[in-house]
Amino acid sequence: MGTLRYIGGRLLFLVPQIFGIVLVGFLLVKAVPGDPATLMLGPMATPDSIAKLRGELGLDKPLPVQFIIYINRIAHGDFGTSWQTTQPVVEDLAVRFPATLELVSFGLLVALAIGIPLGIVSATRRHRVLARIGDFYGLVAGALPDFWLALILIYVFYSLLGWMSSPIGRIDVMLLPPRTITGFYTIDSLVEGNWPAFRSSLAHLVLPVLTLGLVNAGPILKTTQSAMERMLQADFSLYARLCGLPEKLVMRHALRNALPSIVTIVSVLYGFLIGGAVLVEIVFSWGGAGQYAVQGVLNADFNPVLGFVIFSALFSLIVYLVVDLVYLAIDPRIRQ
Amino acid sequence: MALSPNQPGGPIWSTGRRGAGGRARFALRYFIQLLRTHPVYAGGYVIVAVVAIFALAAPLVAPYSPITADPSVYLLPPSFSHLFGTDVTGMDVLSRVIFAPRIDLAIALVGTGLSAAIGTFLGALVGYHQDARGVPRFLSGFVMRSADVLQAFPVFVFAIALVAVFGQSIASVVFAIAFVNIPIYLRLMRSQVMNIRRMRYVEAAYVSGMPDSYIIRRHVVPNAIAPVLAQLSVNIGWSILLTAGLSFVGAGVRAPTPEWGSMIATGFPNIMTGQWWPSLFPGLALAVTVYGFGIIGASIEFMADPRRRRTLANAGGPIRDPGE
Repeated sequence: MGTLRYIGGRLLFLVPQIFGIVLVGFLLVKAVPGDPATLMLGPMATPDSIAKLRGELGLDKPLPVQFIIYINRIAHGDFGTSWQTTQPVVEDLAVRFPATLELVSFGLLVALAIGIPLGIVSATRRHRVLARIGDFYGLVAGALPDFWLALILIYVFYSLLGWMSSPIGRIDVMLLPPRTITGFYTIDSLVEGNWPAFRSSLAHLVLPVLTLGLVNAGPILKTTQSAMERMLQADFSLYARLCGLPEKLVMRHALRNALPSIVTIVSVLYGFLIGGAVLVEIVFSWGGAGQYAVQGVLNADFNPVLGFVIFSALFSLIVYLVVDLVYLAIDPRIRQ
Repeated sequence: MALSPNQPGGPIWSTGRRGAGGRARFALRYFIQLLRTHPVYAGGYVIVAVVAIFALAAPLVAPYSPITADPSVYLLPPSFSHLFGTDVTGMDVLSRVIFAPRIDLAIALVGTGLSAAIGTFLGALVGYHQDARGVPRFLSGFVMRSADVLQAFPVFVFAIALVAVFGQSIASVVFAIAFVNIPIYLRLMRSQVMNIRRMRYVEAAYVSGMPDSYIIRRHVVPNAIAPVLAQLSVNIGWSILLTAGLSFVGAGVRAPTPEWGSMIATGFPNIMTGQWWPSLFPGLALAVTVYGFGIIGASIEFMADPRRRRTLANAGGPIRDPGE
């Protein structure tokens, strides 16, 4: 019961925040120079047709009225159309958001697989060389530009070694993407039993996921390392050692207590990467949501930008909510 | 973590009652000791110094003009005449790499400096008036909620949108970087100040009738500033990455102005066909520079940690605080 009320309270708190995000996003988009009507109709448009379209879009009304119209439309799930794809933004995002999510989720898994073990090993300081590698990696990973690392990986594994198929898109151009169930090509093709599509989509994931994993393992490593260091020096660990518990058990207790910090950094990264993976998306022509938004800004196509911003903000907020519930599950002290 | 001058190992730059000269000498000696025992930290300072010197002396150091294209030598691999090779337009990659920090560093330094100044100022005010009532409380609540909203935006898209709003120019990039970073300093300073606000010496100053502005300036800010400085250094590196990223997608600095991100973008198509040098070298310079700033940040964090300071002092022989 307490948990439900807690979730309810959190959801209630989301409403003003979403409102703020929509407001700031709206004002930002309105502040960008350039008239959407003129852009949509192109250079051959007559002043009359531009005026007509402006009327249809509500662009001739005062700003507060436009904002209310916009809020009203969003509340009905209408995020407008993108004049670049000539499709409703919601439909575009329904394809692109899962693409980004697939990329980011696998990228984070790789980052966890690198960051946590290395963080734990370097926190114990028992293995000198590994500890040094951990320290160094934590600093270097944060300094690597992901778009550059992506290019280097493409050069090494595609141009030089020829191990990879062409690093463009999510799946081979000769193959049909699998039917949309989750929007994750790997999972959908697996469900369908479509092996060529599965193999191709997996192969296309390797380099971008490796890029994201290598770069984002840095913060995870640093957090794991410092949390583990703190926990291993804490009184309960000293006591456990004093009692003669095997080192493995001491480590396990320490890790259990370091878990909340690790969960926090993972959630922050998850939310950040939805928009933060955009450069990697661009390098690999991934067709993800971030790329969609960036093209929107660069081409004065604003409905996609606002749609993306709202979607990704919602996603981050949901992730944070889930994380709070995870805290409840892993830290009994909070429950009281 | 709150640092108080009451502790034996208070912040080394705190302006205590001790003589300022002795204080500075101690800080310097401690700093040298730190670099001697931690060569990695020294490496960070060396990297940043070298990059800064190269940037300042670029016209003297660079072998070619950074913006003159020579079509007769396009896409040459690294050789003695062109150490880093030439790019697709025939510009010398080495010269451009040397000139680039003039833009990248300047943007990052000014942008981060602005955000730190504004964010720290607001954060100190908000943190100090956290428990107040009435208008200050309302205002500080408003500032914090605004920061929440700003931080809920995806940073990169937000930055691009800001550049789009203000028109594509270097000033817009600086402004975008300053804007997206303000919440970081705001939060950092606020949490610091909220801790320090409850310290005895602040209460004592308050009771003795000092005005708020004096207390903030004299007691709160000097004791809260260390994490901000550590953050500043890391943040400069991060801002360089953001600048390069913006230029990479074509929303920041444009070619032919030498800038690492746009250079990597120029070399992008060549990577596919096997010419690695136009992209590799600017990216390497970028990564090394950001790494340097990251290490300086780590060293500042180290210096601000009294526990670690003491172990360093014990390990490195007699080095005593003259005030103790």
